[in-house]
Amino acid sequence: MPDQPASLRLYRWLLKLYPASFREDYAEVLERQFRDELQEPAGTAALCVLWIGLIADMAISVPAQFSTEVAQDARHTLRLWVRRPWHTAFAVLALAIGIGASTGVFSVVNALLLRSLPFQEPGRLAYLSNFFAPHDSAAQFHQWRRQSAYLADTALFEPLDVNLGGAGEWRRAHIAQVSSNFFTLLGTQPVLGTGFTGGDDVDGTGWGPGGRNAVAVIGYGLWQTLFGGDPKSLGSTVRLDGIPLTVVGIAPPGFDYPGNAVVWKPAAYSRGNNGWEVVARLKPGITWPQARQAFAAEADRLWPDRTPLQKVQSPSRITELRDQLAGPTKKASLVLLASVAFVLLIACANVVNLLLARIADRAPELSIRSALGASGARLSQQLLTESVLLGLAAAVAGVLVAFWTTSVVAKLQPSPIASQTYSILDGRVLGFAIATSVLSGLLFGVLPSWYAGRGRTLSARGSSGNRGSGMVREALVAAQVVLTVMLLASSISVGRAFIHLMRMDRGFVPNGLVTVNVSLQGTSHQGVGPSMAYFQEALDRVRRLPGVRSASATEFLPLYSTAFLGGVFLADGKPARATVIPVFSDYFGTMGGRIVAGREFTAAEIQANAPVAVVNERFAAEFGSAAGALGHHVFRQPRTIIGVVKGMDYRNATNDPIGANAGEVFIPSSNPGGFFSAFVVRVDGRPKDRVAMIRDAIQLVDPEVPLFGAETMEKRLDDALARPQFYRTAVFCFASFALLLAVIGIYGVVSYSVAQRTHEMGVRMALGSTPAGLRVGLVRQGLLTIGVAAVLGVAGAALSGRFLENLVDGARPADAATYVATAAAIALIAITGMWVATRPLARLEIVEILRTE
Amino acid sequence: MSSKDRSPAYNLTPLSPAVFHILLSLGEGERHGYALKREISLRTGGRLKLGPGVLYGSINKMLKLGLIEESDARPDPHLDDERRRYYRITVYGRKVAQAEAARMRDLVKLAAARFGAPAHA
Repeated sequence: MPDQPASLRLYRWLLKLYPASFREDYAEVLERQFRDELQEPAGTAALCVLWIGLIADMAISVPAQFSTEVAQDARHTLRLWVRRPWHTAFAVLALAIGIGASTGVFSVVNALLLRSLPFQEPGRLAYLSNFFAPHDSAAQFHQWRRQSAYLADTALFEPLDVNLGGAGEWRRAHIAQVSSNFFTLLGTQPVLGTGFTGGDDVDGTGWGPGGRNAVAVIGYGLWQTLFGGDPKSLGSTVRLDGIPLTVVGIAPPGFDYPGNAVVWKPAAYSRGNNGWEVVARLKPGITWPQARQAFAAEADRLWPDRTPLQKVQSPSRITELRDQLAGPTKKASLVLLASVAFVLLIACANVVNLLLARIADRAPELSIRSALGASGARLSQQLLTESVLLGLAAAVAGVLVAFWTTSVVAKLQPSPIASQTYSILDGRVLGFAIATSVLSGLLFGVLPSWYAGRGRTLSARGSSGNRGSGMVREALVAAQVVLTVMLLASSISVGRAFIHLMRMDRGFVPNGLVTVNVSLQGTSHQGVGPSMAYFQEALDRVRRLPGVRSASATEFLPLYSTAFLGGVFLADGKPARATVIPVFSDYFGTMGGRIVAGREFTAAEIQANAPVAVVNERFAAEFGSAAGALGHHVFRQPRTIIGVVKGMDYRNATNDPIGANAGEVFIPSSNPGGFFSAFVVRVDGRPKDRVAMIRDAIQLVDPEVPLFGAETMEKRLDDALARPQFYRTAVFCFASFALLLAVIGIYGVVSYSVAQRTHEMGVRMALGSTPAGLRVGLVRQGLLTIGVAAVLGVAGAALSGRFLENLVDGARPADAATYVATAAAIALIAITGMWVATRPLARLEIVEILRTE
Repeated sequence: MSSKDRSPAYNLTPLSPAVFHILLSLGEGERHGYALKREISLRTGGRLKLGPGVLYGSINKMLKLGLIEESDARPDPHLDDERRRYYRITVYGRKVAQAEAARMRDLVKLAAARFGAPAHA
């Protein structure tokens, strides 16, 4: 074979694939042998055969050599770990929290924003918010949806809560009444049966036995529970609020849109129902910008008389269905992901510092190995193996953290539909976890191993060869401080917003209150007379119980933004806006509400449904003052205002802009038992201990009436605040963790540099410096870095503050005082850390140091 | 590795074909890698062709196990390239090769008893 410089070059290059040690020992002889092979009989065919053989040979021998060397390195690493268990545990823990928390949060982002919805062509599905499609009658709706120029189809749905089941075995269930094209629009076929056909949805206010629309599609899960998955159950009956519906279809497994629905029934259209929600599919070829434009024009055409204020307060929007489902969670998850990414970065920076310091500690070991013939590449490989193993250990621990994170988030912020359940066991999430581990492994592994490879840290202690390494370490600490200041400032402003939420005056006293929900729909107590009788009897029984101070009932409990029965009505003949809440006597006394003027309803007024009303201060302001409102009239059929109270918080505990500062009008309850009705009971002692007793007493009135939501008001408040509390805790934990990491990092850097400069310090002391003077000098030097980093951190925090509003309502960028305090706190902690780290200087024996030279 | 640390020769058996063939060749005298490769290929009628990676991987392992050692002697410095390395078998290597041969002999005996002597060698 003639000389083949190209082949030789290629082979030389391929030899680099072998691990360092083997390559150093055998690269030369391998190349020699390759030359020998090239000398053999010539010809292109022979050369091809040679190369095929070589590639096969490498495919076997490269992995084999790697496994031998990596196993060696791994054993060495494990020995090192055992020798410094705390060091190792700290590094693994720091990375595990970083990797685990980001993976956990990413699983939420993945479920809500990346995973596609289980519908046909989900990217073309739209949600129309603050948009009332024409829905006075079936004909009107269907005619409207067919004429659209930009929507292929539109469906209506209304989520409802009902009593599901037969006598004695009630349960509460989420259902939806839907237009007949609902399933077709989503592209979801029932696994069994037909689903709805055109004309199943009819006009009327409800649905009655025997009607065209007395049919239902039931969820796969419900089918399994009620009928044991029997295919013959088509044509069977399910009862919703006591009304029998014939099962005509079984939804596919996992289908529970909207909002965990288990039963779907055809819509009954009526004028004035504003509970409808609208989902649509874009026409083929229509882009989202086109659709938005066409939609805006249509909204203006349908309601030409909206004021600019209305347009701003409740804008009509067309959004991708997935974005609507993710809703406010979307931004919160992204903000949280950003903070965990910070923590991960800080953890990486710290582990780099740790490893660099460790390499310095191991300088003697490494220089001996180097002297024994280990090349820089070989040592780099050893250190890289250590980092990768560290990364792997952290990844395994991180998966545990991720599981925990995901389960906590799922509890506090359940996914909107079943197919969006957060899960770690998802290709994308696992990919993310692996990518994070590998990337962070490279991040904290490459730098130290590069240094070792360069032999920079291998020089004897105290030499000036470490200047570069020292600067890198200082830069890492500075980066850590920047990120920590940002996280700390954020956590302070989130924490403040939360405390504000907690302390907010809700207009009632949640402590000592027990609540029980009841729904009379579909029971024998439905209707004006029977429902009042039921409530009165239940209240009489509860009031007789020991330990009960007072009891009342309402059709809407505070904290749930469900009482929007309000709307515009007349106050003294002028239009006014307020939420209307029907209540029983002694409601304000029981709730711990504060009566500002006048009085609350008497039992007699409730019984007689007297034309009276109690309003909140906000509403009373329409009449000038609280006292001034008394005696005025509200509603078309006038009710006299007999009392003014401090407003109660009917928002869902967070800052819902629509509910804030709303007017409230309380009226005597006349037909309770709708699905938000609740008894409220003020008790002595621990309310938790009284819940069962109260529920049992109410149940005794009629065992067939479903009771639910029997819990203390404090529990309800906690649940309502769980989300902001979770965010606050999460950000706070991340910030404290970051602070801890930063302190350890600072301490590490300073004590390392003290160790490195022992000799120099000794000389300076010999020349007359005092130990204290040297320590102050070192601290001052370190403080410069910290100071610059703190300033950068404050700037970063000011920029990031704007995003916090998405996490906890009311969180604003922190004020200047907070920034100064945060930066000062970090500086103080850093000074303490540095002072402690320079302690060895105080004990320096000059003679000792100089003798070692 | 001192001979005390070494495990008994039979503990290393069965040997991989590559290792056994290398020991067989070195039993005859010192060889360099390329010579080993050619000899083994010839002996097996081209059925065992050791690529350089596998060959030196095996040599590396055998050096560590103490089966062979590097030889300082160069047969003829004029003819030879400095980059060639020569290997020779150690005493321990001989023992291991013998143990492998004994193991094979026992197997062959057993097979002959079960199935009769093979028609072709």
